Amino acid sequence: MNSAAALALPAVGRPLPNRAPVLALLAAALLGALALALAIGAMPMSFADILGEETALQRLVFIEIRAPRVALAGLVGAVLAVSGAALQGLFRNPLADPGLIGVSSGAALGAVAVIVLGSGRLAGPLTAYALPLAAMLGAVLVTLFLWAFAARYGQFSIVTILLVGIAVNALAAVGLGAFQYLSDEGQLRTLTFWMLGSFGRANWPTVLPAALAMAAAAAPLFFATRALDLMQLGESEAFHLGVAVQRLKRRVILCAAAAVGAGVALSGIIGFVGLVVPHLVRLLLGASHRWVLPGAALLGAALTVLADLLARTVAAPAEVPVSLVTSALGAPFFLWLIARVRP
Amino acid sequence: MRSLLCAAAALLAGSWLLPAAACETAEDSSRIAVAGGSLTEIIYFLGAEERIKAVDSTSNFPEPERFPSIGYVRALDAEGLLSMRPTLVLGEDDMGPPEAVAAVRRLGVPVVRVPEVHSAFGILAKVRCVAAVLNLRTEAEGLLEAKLSPMVEALARLRSDGADRPKAAFLLGIRDGAPVGAGRGTSAHGLLRMAFAQNVLDGFEGWKPVSMEAMAGAAPDYIVIAERGGAGGGADQVLAHPALPTTPAGRAPGRRLIVMDGMAILGFGPRTLQAALRLASLLRTEAPAAAAAVRRVESRE
Repeated sequence: MNSAAALALPAVGRPLPNRAPVLALLAAALLGALALALAIGAMPMSFADILGEETALQRLVFIEIRAPRVALAGLVGAVLAVSGAALQGLFRNPLADPGLIGVSSGAALGAVAVIVLGSGRLAGPLTAYALPLAAMLGAVLVTLFLWAFAARYGQFSIVTILLVGIAVNALAAVGLGAFQYLSDEGQLRTLTFWMLGSFGRANWPTVLPAALAMAAAAAPLFFATRALDLMQLGESEAFHLGVAVQRLKRRVILCAAAAVGAGVALSGIIGFVGLVVPHLVRLLLGASHRWVLPGAALLGAALTVLADLLARTVAAPAEVPVSLVTSALGAPFFLWLIARVRP
Repeated sequence: MRSLLCAAAALLAGSWLLPAAACETAEDSSRIAVAGGSLTEIIYFLGAEERIKAVDSTSNFPEPERFPSIGYVRALDAEGLLSMRPTLVLGEDDMGPPEAVAAVRRLGVPVVRVPEVHSAFGILAKVRCVAAVLNLRTEAEGLLEAKLSPMVEALARLRSDGADRPKAAFLLGIRDGAPVGAGRGTSAHGLLRMAFAQNVLDGFEGWKPVSMEAMAGAAPDYIVIAERGGAGGGADQVLAHPALPTTPAGRAPGRRLIVMDGMAILGFGPRTLQAALRLASLLRTEAPAAAAAVRRVESRE
């Protein structure tokens, strides 16, 4: 845990640069990423096209396809990074991310169930919502289970939660395997692509409710920053400093799970953003959560928007699964981070 | 009399399965984005390949890499698709994701989904459907008459020669240490039926790994192995599998193994008729040559 803590808190004892300008820089980076992602795509278009004739194909593509896609990428990136930062702070574990406690697998299980069992049987106007709702339900069920199990059999300690998370992941893997076994070849390909993530399914009627859900679920995390800072001293120390530790855990875990569930329900699994971005932000802004959470939101959104830009342009007019891009960038960076801390 | 009734019922069922609504002539089929290898093949068959502007990644026949790729048929990108400025998107039954297809429709580009039935008549219906959409009905009837109908008739004759249906298993390489077999409802099941063979693995649905015991129990007289074009390896793995000698197919002196190119036979385009005929004749050969020899024959074509 010592070295882990060192990795989690690399900036302790190091004089910090002025943090407000860095945060402003991150905000500028996000704006730049958004502008770039909105301007570039498989369909060539200019400002005149976008502002021009209402029926022009370019304008429609921009409004109905590219814009919701960029919005979803930014939102999911922000939510993953913020949840990852909050969970890493709560668990004082640099490896914590929404995947570790089983939320992502729960969402995957819900989505895959709809892909395999629902295909051909679902009809009507709600079909578009069936998959995201099932994914979100999966994420929430996993969280509640985590919750109930830890509260009943452990004292809801950090270690219990992490261990139960591992078991939940294993159980979800059983479910995923079973659905893979039941699937026909087409469904197998569909669920494989879902697990690799894509923002290509975004459209306004699904992105807007998901955006509201993500914002509502992630907002309480920003009110827990001081308590998360105190948690870094240790659980009992935080308790003695006046932190309602159990309530903090409940709030952070439930909010992070709900926010991530709402996000990945539409996008599928997006690798490494929730793990790596918080580390990157701590390098830039130090360990105080008051700065880390907003920084993670900005950087997570910017990087994910750029990753999606790569995913949809590098092989245009075809598209590459976005998790390939995020993982290909994230994993080497994570290795570098480890190598940097170890002497 | 009864068989006539059956035939009529089948025809009715067939026409119901292939709704005419999907196959109406498109207003403008001058720039087509195709999602599905068999559809690309059919457009070439109809001689209309000049209208193709983009294809999906399963369209690797007859001219791979001639057109820009819009990705895998089930993972299309709406903006990428529209950037090719198609006037028509012609897709296989399983094209997706639904969100991307809906977006393309919403933005005013007509999308035609061609129904899929895994039989010889299904292939003819598919060709007719594409021909109708492209407004090539008359040309198509001539081509069908000259090229495809003789093959369909040859396949139909298999049923009437009174011989037993050969018992066969269809395998697709190795997954999780066991060969993956074709159960009911798969395209390979349909292919075996077209070749008037009995699928010994019809106890389950879809593609599933088959254990050694199950393979021995199913006792296929012939094993058909699909090899993904160029990928290789799958057939060799199956050949090396310890379960093989426990089956009649593996015990037979020449080993009754048939290796075929997966894409050619499973796409259910015109090539599939040809493949089914060849498969039918191999399935009625006492020793269809060693697998290696068969493969050489396949690769020469």
